[in-house]
Amino acid sequence: MKLYVKPTTNNKKYKTEIAKKYTIFLSQYPEIFSDLLYGSHFDFAIYDSMEKYENETPVEIFNVFCNGNGIEINPGKANGSDLELALSVKAIEKLIQTDSKEDYAKLLGTFYNQPDEERGWIDFLLHKRTQTIIDMGYGRFAKTAGLLDDENDT
Amino acid sequence: MSKVKELEIKNKYTGELIRSIPADTLESLQEKIKKVSKNQYLLKKMTFFERSQLLSKFASSLRFKKKQLKDLIVAEGGLPIKYSEWELNIVTNGFKFCDWYYQFIEDTHLTGIEGEQFVTIKHIPQGLAACVSPRNTPISLPLYQMGANYLVGNAAIVKPSTACPLTMLEAYSMMEEVNLPALEALDLIIAPGEWAIDEFLRSSLVKILMTITSSHTAKDIMVRYGQILKKTVDKSMGVPMYTRPFKQFVFECAGNDAGIVMDDVNLEQVAKWNVMASYTNSGQQCFSMKRIIVHRDIYDDYIDCLIKEIENLKFGDPTDPDVDIGPLGSRKILMMMEVMVADAKKYNTKIYTGGEKVDTGEDYGLFYEPTLVEIRPEICVDLVKSPFLWREEAFGPVRSVTKANDLKDAIRLANASNYGMRAVVYTSNLKSIEIFKNKLEAANIYINAKPMLTDITVALGGIKDSAYPPGCKYYPQELVFGKYIYDGTPANLNKIK
Repeated sequence: MKLYVKPTTNNKKYKTEIAKKYTIFLSQYPEIFSDLLYGSHFDFAIYDSMEKYENETPVEIFNVFCNGNGIEINPGKANGSDLELALSVKAIEKLIQTDSKEDYAKLLGTFYNQPDEERGWIDFLLHKRTQTIIDMGYGRFAKTAGLLDDENDT
Repeated sequence: MSKVKELEIKNKYTGELIRSIPADTLESLQEKIKKVSKNQYLLKKMTFFERSQLLSKFASSLRFKKKQLKDLIVAEGGLPIKYSEWELNIVTNGFKFCDWYYQFIEDTHLTGIEGEQFVTIKHIPQGLAACVSPRNTPISLPLYQMGANYLVGNAAIVKPSTACPLTMLEAYSMMEEVNLPALEALDLIIAPGEWAIDEFLRSSLVKILMTITSSHTAKDIMVRYGQILKKTVDKSMGVPMYTRPFKQFVFECAGNDAGIVMDDVNLEQVAKWNVMASYTNSGQQCFSMKRIIVHRDIYDDYIDCLIKEIENLKFGDPTDPDVDIGPLGSRKILMMMEVMVADAKKYNTKIYTGGEKVDTGEDYGLFYEPTLVEIRPEICVDLVKSPFLWREEAFGPVRSVTKANDLKDAIRLANASNYGMRAVVYTSNLKSIEIFKNKLEAANIYINAKPMLTDITVALGGIKDSAYPPGCKYYPQELVFGKYIYDGTPANLNKIK
C-alpha cells in the first residue's frame, strides 16, 4: 500500500534558517518519500563542512518518520534511526531552489556522485543492516531521490 | 631481485614522471608480514558489524576525495576519466554496503531429522592473506581485497601492481588520515610480483594467497608452492612427510567471455551495451565480452550496428571526458594484440573495423584501434584448430565475432572455451532464457543485463581456467573456513552429569 504523504512540519522548532527552509521545501515534494514503508524513520543532518561530517558534528538534525498515515518531519535525531542522510549547507541552498521533483532528484544525485566542498555534497550513513534498509524501501527511495541513477544508461 | 630501491611511476599517456616511490626489499616485506600478522588480534577485538561500519564510513572519505583518486587512476592506469568513475564506484559501493556480505558468513544453525538444533556452522577468519592485484585496476581490486579481509577479520598484505601503485598508496594514506582502527593489521607492499609471491609462498604466517592474474601465472604459483613443499619433505619415515602446511589459494584468472545476441532483440540497443561490455578500459578487463556470437538471421544487420558503435568510440587523451579508449597498459599488450590479429588473418578471417596500432616507440601513449574480427564458426569449436584470438583471452581492444545457426549452436560456440568466467545473453524468448541459464558453462551468467554493473550483488569467480577454487564467489566467503559445532548439551547434559 502506498503511503499518503502528509508533512507535519512546525518550522518554528528549528534553530537554523537552513533547516527551516529545507523542511518547508521537502513538504512540497512529499512523493519523494512514497517508497518508504510504515515505520521508516531517518535523520537529515546538515553540516557546514566535510570535516564536520567526518567528526560527526552537524549544525542541525531533523528526522522524517513514516507513521502509517503520512510523513512527520520533526526536529532532532530520530529514536532508533534507520540511517542518516548528511547534506552540506551549500547543497541544501541549491536544492531548495529547484522547482520540480525531477530537478531536485537530479541535483541530489549530482551532489552524491560528484561531492565537492564548494559546490555541495551529500552522503548517508546506515544505522541498520543494509538488507533491513533495502527491505524498508530505502533503495527505491534512493532511486527516486536520484542517488542511484545509472550514469551508464543509454 | 630484492634490490630495487625506488620505482618511477609514469603517466601512461604522456610518459611524464608522476612520482618516484620507495620500493620494498625482501627484508621490509618480511617485516610487514610479521607486523600485520602480530596485529591481527586488533581486528578480532571488533565485531563484524563494527568493522563493516568503519569500512562504510571510509567509503564516504573515498567519495569525498574522488577527484584526486580519479586523476591518479587516469594518470598511472591510463584509464579514461569516464571509466575511472566506475573503477572507484565499484569499491565505494562495496564498502558502503559491506555488511550485506554477512549473509554469506553468518552462523548457520542446522536442524536434524528429529527437529533438534544441535549443530552450528561458524565461519572463522582463516588468517593473514597476501593479495596480489593486477595492473588494469589501480584501486578497485586491491582495495576490495584489503577491505574483504578487514571485514572478515583477517590481517592482509596487499601488493598492487608496480605499474600503478599510487592510487592504492593514496587510499592507504587516507585510511591513516581517518585513523581507521586496526590499520596495523593491513599493509601494502610495493615490489615486483615474482619474488614477493615467492616470499608469500615461503612464509608460514601467510595463510591465504589471493591473486588476480593470468591462468598460466596462477598455475605457475601452484607449481612453485609444490617445489617449496618438495624441498622441505622429510623422507626419514619411509614415506614423504610434508611439514609445510596447506595454503589457501584464491585465484581470479582470465576470462574469455561469450556474449550471445539472439534474433529477437533491439539491435541498436544491444549493440550499444555490447560495445561498452567489450571495449571499456580498452578491453583490458577479465570479464570483458570477448567472443561475440550472433544469430545468423540478424548477423549482417547486427554487424552494421556494432561497427557503427565501435567507430564512434573515441580514443586518445584519457583525461578528456569524451574519450572512451585510453592508452594500453604496456607494450606487451600492444604486441599481444598485433600477434592475435596477425594470427587471425591466417585463418581467412575478416577484419570489420580497426586493426591498426598507434605506437609512439616509447612505453607510453600506446594504442590499438578498437577492432572487430569475424571468425568462421567452423573453426571455433575445436580449440586446437581455432585462432589464438578465439581460444585465448584478448586482453585489449580486439574482439572476435562469429555466427550461430540457432540457440543450440550458440551454446555450443559459447562453451567452446577453456575459460568460464561470465557468459552474457541477449534474447527476449523466455523459454530460451531458461535453456541458456542451464547450459552455458560459466560461473556467472548475465541475461539481458546492462554492462558494467556496480551493484553489490555482482559476483567474481569462474570455472574451468578462469578461477580457483571454481564457482561464483564473493571474497568474504573465500576468506573464512566453516567450523562444525555439535552441541548435544540440551539432550545429554543430564546423562553425562
